[in-house]
Formats: sequence, structure tokens, C-alpha cells
Amino acid sequence: MWSKRINGEDPAETFPAIPDLVVVFGPTDRLADRGLTDRLMSSCGDAIVIGCSSGTMVDGDGLDDDAVVLLGMGFERTKLALAVQPLPSADGSFAAGAAIGMDLADDSLSAIFVLSNGLNVNGSALVAGIRSGTGDAVLLSGGLAGDGARFGDTRILAGGDCLSNAVAAIGFYGEHVRLAHGSAGEWQPFGPVRTISDANGAELCRLDHEPALALYERYLGDEAADLPASGLLYPLEIWDPAKPDDRVVRTLLAIDRDRGTLTFAGDMPQGWKARLMRGIFDDLVDGASTAAQHALHRASTWGVAPSACLAISCVGRRLLMGQRTEEEIAAVAAALHPDIALAGFYSYGEIAPQNVTGVPCLHNQTMTITLIGERV
Amino acid sequence: MSPPTSVVSTIGPPIEPPRLHPIALRQARRARMPDGSIDVDRLLALMSETYTETDVDRRRTDHANRLMATELEAALSESALQNLRFKAALDNMNQGLALFDVFGRLVLTNQRFLDIYCLDDAPPGNTVDQVLGRSPCLLLGTAVEHCRLINEYRDVTSVGGAKIEQRLPDGRTITIERTRLADGGFLDTVADVTEARNASAQIAHLARHDALTNLPNRTLLHERLAEMVRNARRGDRCAMLGLDLDRFKLVNDTLGHPVGDALLVAVAERLVKLVRPHDVVARLGGDEFSILVQHVTSDDMVEQLCQRIIDTLTQPFEIAGNHIQIGASIGIALVEVDTIDPDTLLRDADLALYRAKRGGRGSYRFYTPDMHVFATRRRQLEIELRQALSSNQFEVHYQPQVDITTHTVIGFEALARWYHPERGVVPPGDFIGVCEEIGLIGAVGELVLKQSCRDAALWPKSIKIAVNLSPLQFKSGTLPAIVSQALSESGLDPKRLELEITEGAMLEDTASVIEQLQRLKEQGVLISLDDFGTGYSSLSHIRNFPFDRVKIDQSFVRDLGTNNDSLAIVRAVTGLCGSLGIMSIAEGVETLDQLNILIAEKCDSAQGYFYSRPVPLAETLPFISRMLEPQPKAA
Repeated sequence: MWSKRINGEDPAETFPAIPDLVVVFGPTDRLADRGLTDRLMSSCGDAIVIGCSSGTMVDGDGLDDDAVVLLGMGFERTKLALAVQPLPSADGSFAAGAAIGMDLADDSLSAIFVLSNGLNVNGSALVAGIRSGTGDAVLLSGGLAGDGARFGDTRILAGGDCLSNAVAAIGFYGEHVRLAHGSAGEWQPFGPVRTISDANGAELCRLDHEPALALYERYLGDEAADLPASGLLYPLEIWDPAKPDDRVVRTLLAIDRDRGTLTFAGDMPQGWKARLMRGIFDDLVDGASTAAQHALHRASTWGVAPSACLAISCVGRRLLMGQRTEEEIAAVAAALHPDIALAGFYSYGEIAPQNVTGVPCLHNQTMTITLIGERV
Repeated sequence: MSPPTSVVSTIGPPIEPPRLHPIALRQARRARMPDGSIDVDRLLALMSETYTETDVDRRRTDHANRLMATELEAALSESALQNLRFKAALDNMNQGLALFDVFGRLVLTNQRFLDIYCLDDAPPGNTVDQVLGRSPCLLLGTAVEHCRLINEYRDVTSVGGAKIEQRLPDGRTITIERTRLADGGFLDTVADVTEARNASAQIAHLARHDALTNLPNRTLLHERLAEMVRNARRGDRCAMLGLDLDRFKLVNDTLGHPVGDALLVAVAERLVKLVRPHDVVARLGGDEFSILVQHVTSDDMVEQLCQRIIDTLTQPFEIAGNHIQIGASIGIALVEVDTIDPDTLLRDADLALYRAKRGGRGSYRFYTPDMHVFATRRRQLEIELRQALSSNQFEVHYQPQVDITTHTVIGFEALARWYHPERGVVPPGDFIGVCEEIGLIGAVGELVLKQSCRDAALWPKSIKIAVNLSPLQFKSGTLPAIVSQALSESGLDPKRLELEITEGAMLEDTASVIEQLQRLKEQGVLISLDDFGTGYSSLSHIRNFPFDRVKIDQSFVRDLGTNNDSLAIVRAVTGLCGSLGIMSIAEGVETLDQLNILIAEKCDSAQGYFYSRPVPLAETLPFISRMLEPQPKAA
């Protein structure tokens, strides 16, 4: 297997051979540029092309808000398949996931890498849908497309099309392909423990009987004007009071000022406990490194070195850390062998197996690492 | 990434590259021009952006910290308030509460716990020994007791929710219950149960004592008997005295129950003073007392005690301004203690008491085995009488009453006969008294009355029927209705029915008896006074009610001709009757001499064996016919 990251805007940069798979990350407006996509498609030959929009791209050990990053991969013994399903609204998330799962399901299916529209989607439901079609033996990772702090328009690139409301996934088949994952957040909970006193699915109405939006506005101060993007600065750690050791992080996706509610990227069960979280730069950077270390540890049993790395990090980390965001991707790069081609994007939600259980799920506010290799 | 080898600046000479911060290094890289020089404007913009981001982050952190501090402060205030509420709730619990940690050190107590142990405070961190060691109320007892109380508390086990009860030196009773907690500590709840225990003791006392006099009741008397039997020495004797007050019922009826109750209390006080401390005076109910006399050395000793009791109780009582004179009858059962059967002992005393009362009030009697035989017979008689009533073994015989001047039959006296299946005919004197005692007299009396009325209806209209009434038949107040029913059922003219009452009927509840007699008279029934001269012979009875006839008792008639006293009495009665216009009749006339005297004394009529013994109904009409024929004229 070979892999190489190139700059999609620079016609001079080429792959060493015709790739089997090209993963593309770029700004929404660039991916929507038909001229660019047509040129990319023609340069990729028969390769399967999949990609998504983002406000910030991972380009090796650095970040670029404007670049179109391509990661090309060539496999010797691995078959690939592309599945694309429309995702017109969040309510259709499970169904779209299930359809993707069924499209790709095959006895030899080893892993799926999925990219979904980043708005109007319930990431938890999407993952559940895919799992319903494939079962839990298939590795699953990916992310929800981003649009920086704008939260305006996210795109999925599949085949030659740039789609607004869609989910696309690559199926990796056969016994030779290897994928390993790691994820870490390292956000720190702070302030009082609160109770989700009123919620409806992913919509959080009240915390401790106070409108949830009011709480966020109070904590954000002047930055409340930038909601929902600024809400990413304060994700919520939530847990079932009966299982206090089993905690998940939820990130804000949308707000409804009229109703005073917040919509998160996953379910907000009523009665669960909730606590605000905040990011401390050094902790977040350490978290990114931890995610990479975890994936590498998993890959250490492959008998072959990983060839490519897809790093998908949360836009919340990008918004908080600003220029220092690059430090977390540098930490990931430092953990990886220099030969591993590294690309990725800042997402509205990360999908990867849980570190301990291996069960795939939607993560929020994490750095997730997908290492790809092929043992021939 | 390698640091830049040189920096090209438009504002100064080249300088040696410093050891740069990674951010600065990245910024330098981003500001590097294709020719290797640095775009200073770009670099400054990046640096400025970094400063801005750092400022924003600091402001965010400050803002968040301030809000968090405020929220935590509010939470702490709420928590403090909640603690106050908890404390108020705990302090207002009825039970004392003490929480100890896994090391047995006090975490908290509520106020009630401090109150129970009379403590001003209980410092957290103290052990059970230290907490209770300061309790002044535990120090009231001996050092050993103090130590025991603390040890017991400390060692309360939590297995199965263990609970112990302690009596504190100051007399209070407390319970201590310990609950083990998940963290290894324990929670003790302490309750003051003194009142509950006192109430239990009071209930136990009430169960064994008479509420009115506070004397032992039958239950405690039995327990004392059992105790005495357990502790008996060979040859020990004891006496059980059964005691009944004479005329107590009269006090209750005339002066009311409150006075009667006060009298019983006064009697109890006198009795207790008369016996030794180890003897037991018990009240079994009503005016019935029992006295267990222990260690009896002689019969004389018991007799002397009984006489003292009778003498003492015969002394007048002053109750609520009333001068009350009563008496007492005593039955004595004297036995060896090791042969005692408590029930038998009480029964024997009762039998002796019964005999004492029958033998005249104000006396005592020792139990003798024949009393038991008599009682057994009597019980048998009771059973047979009830059977007799249900199987119609009673019959009515009639003794003629004759006008002694015309020798014509003017009526018959109805006399009940009991045809016992084994013993044959039983005369009224052998069973009427028992019927009265066991409450059968009403039924038997009604049976005789109705049968007599039916039979009399068969006789010529000039013939009357005289029926005896027991004083007890007036008790229920229904006698006039029963008589009315008997008359209407038989169709007998009321003027032909004569009801005979004894003076005894007039003695109790005179007003009610007279009222019923008047109602009977209003029905047209005749009323006669039976056995006159044998009882109180109070002339007031004759004055209080217009009797139609007075019957001279056979005891006087029998002695006529031999005893001048009897003649005087007969003469007085007939004279009285003549003066008051009341008819007179003599019963028990057996000889012609007696009859002649009665004629001489102007007695109106007579009955007795001289004329005829009581006969069955079938012989009555032939007798009437016979008597219409000329009879030998008395001399």
C-alpha cells in the first residue's frame, strides 16, 4: 500500500501512481467550485473520491484554513466500495446510516470510513443506523463535515458530486486491510454539577430548571453573539446518575433563541447530570497526542507499519485554541512515523470506536485518529 | 521543523536567531517569503492574532471563573441552608440520633440525642465511650452501672437490626437501635420509651388489679396462690375466705352506684388493715371479696380473723354524708398448701359462703365436704329443672278454698307439681327456691299462671283461682302484660283470678311493685297478701295497697287450740281484716277444732287437708259438686 498527501490546488503535485482511493478535505466554497472538482476527478483517474468540507484542514503537521488537501492511497489486495445516501434532515439520520450499512455490508467488509453532512444530522443516530446494517464486527470511523465557525453550509464530496445533504462512506474489504483508531478529548469539567431537567432528544431545554440557553449566554458573555459556534467553547459532560463512571461529552450544534434551547450533537437524556467543560490548551494538545498513541498502540499488532493517518478533530478545539490549534496536530505528527501521510479536518462531530469497548460512536470535542495500513 | 537560519528585517541589521517559542517558530515559517525573507507585516499580524487570542482566552477564563465562583457560592449557600433544614429536621425528631464513622468516631448527633443523655454538646471525632462518659445522667448510678451502660451501648450489634433496652439510673428507659452503613460507619437511634414502658406496666397492673379498689383481682389471686404452692413447706396450711357484703345491693339501689363504689373502697381499706402483709385481699367482682390467709396455725386464728372482719365491717360507714350500715358473711376453706387446687379452693370458700348466707347473715362457715355434695345435687337439680321446663314436666294441682260459713267452694289455689321422670312428684318447696335463684321462676310462674287460667275457665263462674307470685316476677315489670295475656288467651274473667304475693315482694323496689299491682287491679284482678304474719308483718303493707284478701299462714293455724300466741295473732289478723273490709283466709286447716276456732274468730274462708289436699284438674269439678251438698256444721 502507498499513500501520499498533496495540495489539491497545485497541479504540480501528483500522486506516484493511480490511487485507488482519494480523500479530499477543503473549504466549502472550494469544494462547491465545479471547476476544481472536475479537475481533481480527472487527475484521480478511476480512484474512488470521497471528501467533505471544513473550516480548517490538517495538512501534514500543519493546519490550513484555505487549502484543499488530498490524501491518495493505493492498495494491493484490498477492495473498496463507495456508498452514498441522501440525508435531508436530522430525523433521517438513522435511516440514512442503515442504508449505508446495507449498501456496504458484505462478509468480507472490514471497515467503514464515513463522512456525513455536518448540519441537520443526529450523529448518534447515524452511527446506530450504520451499526444496524453491518453489526459490530466492522470497524467504523469518520466525521461530520464542517464549516468553521460559520455553521452555514457543509458539503460531502462523493464521486464527482459535491452534495449538501448527504452521507458518503467507503467500505474496506478483505483480510489485508488494517485500520486502527484512537480518540481523546481532555476537556476539563468545571463548575457545579447540574441536572438535565427538561430535554427532548438532542434538544436541551432546561438545566436545573433554568433555560439552557441562558446559562450558555451567561458563561459566554460578549461571545454569546457568536452562538452556536461560541457554544463549542463549553461542551457538556453528561452522565446517568446511576452510572457516574460512564460519561460522554456533548457539543453544541444549534440554538433556538426564541425557545431558549440548545441542540447538541447527540441525545440529552432528561434526569442525567451535566457539567460544563472547558479546554485548557496544554490538556487538549496532550489529548491529541494520547489519541495518536492509542491508535499506534492498536496498530502495533498489525505486523506492518501504518501508511496513512486521517486526523479528525473537533471544530470546538480549533475555535478555542486559535493559532495554537496547530500544536495539537503537531503533537499527532510527532507521534507518527514521518513516512505516514497525514491529512484530516476540523469537524462538527467525530466518529470512532470507543477506546475501551471498541464500540463505534459519535464523539464530540475530541481528536480522533484513523490509521490505515495493508498487510500483504 | 528546523529554526530559520537567519531573519531578514527591514527595520534593523540581521540578528542571531533567538530560541523561539514554537508559536513564534510557526509564525516565522508562515511569514517566510519564497525568497527566504520574512514578510514582517504578515508576521506582525500573526503575532497580534496570538496576543488577541491569548487575551480572549484569559478573559474567557476570568469570566468563567467568576461565574463559577458565584455559582459555587450560591450552591454553598443553598447547601448551608439545606444543612440547616436537615439539622432542624433532625433536631425535631422524637428519637435521638448519632452517626459514627467506620472508625467509631462521632460524625454528628441531633439535639434529641444530647437531651436524652443530658449533654450540652458532643464533639465530632469522639468515641462512644467519650460521648457517653460525659453524660451526667449515666453518672447518677454506681461506677459499675456506669461502665455497664456504656459497654452495652458500644457493643450493640447491628446484625438483624439489633436493639437493646436500658434503664438509666434516673429511672428512664431507653432503646438503642444500630444500623450499619455502607461506608462501614453506623447510625444509632435512641428513643426514650419510659412512658411506653410505664404504660405497659400500668396495663400489666390493671390486668392484675381491680380498678376500683386497686386490690388484686382474680388473676393475681391465682398467681399468688400458685406462688404460695411453689414455696410451700410441708404441713403449711392456708385459708381462703370468701366474703360477701350484706345489704350492699340495697346501698347501691337506694344511694346510687357512686356511693356503692365508695363503700367498696372503704371496705377494701378496712380489710387490708385487718390482715397481715403476706395475706392477700382480692376483689373478685361486685361485693365479692376473697382473702388468702397464709401460714394458718390454727382454726381459732382463722375464726378470730373472720369475727374481726365481720365486726369491723358491721361498724357504720360514713360515705358522702350517708350513714351506712352493712354486714358481711364469710365462707372459709382451710387446706394444706401442698394439696391446693386453686379453683377448688375458691369454689369451696364460695360454697361455705353460700351456706353462711343461707344460715343467716353476719356469720362465717367453714367448708365441709357435704357442702360440695349439696352443691353438686343442686347443680344437678338446675340442669333437671331446665330440662323439665323444656319437656313439660310441670303440672298444676289445685287445693280448694272453702267459705267456712257456707262450706261451699269459692276457689282453688294453684300449686305447681314437678313430675320428675325418676323421682316422681316433687313438691314446690323443693324446687321453687332453686328456680328463683337460677332465673327460671319467670318461665315457671308464667307456665303455672297460664295453665291455671285455662283450667279455671272450665269451672263454674263462681269459682276463683288463686295463683302464687314470686317477688322476682315483679323484677322485669312485665307481669301485668303477662297476666293480661293469660286472661285473654284463656277467656277467664279477671275477677276470678286472684294473685297471691308475699310480704317479701313489697320489700324491694316497693314503688315498682305497687305500680304493677295497681295496674293488675285496674284489669280487675284480685290481689291477696300471702303468708301474713311470718315476715315483717308490717301493717304499712296493708295500708299501702288495697289488698282484697289476707292469708293467715299455716304455722299459726296449726297451733290453734294449743298455743295462745297463735290464737292471738289469728284473732288480730281477722280483726284487722274485718275492720279494713278485707277478706281473710286461713291455710293449713287440718282439724275440725281448728276450723271451729277460725269460725269463731270470724275468718272468712279456709283451705287445708281438712277439706282436701291439692288435686289434679280432673278431680276439681267432682269436688265442687260434692261440696255443694250439705256439710256437717261446725260446732
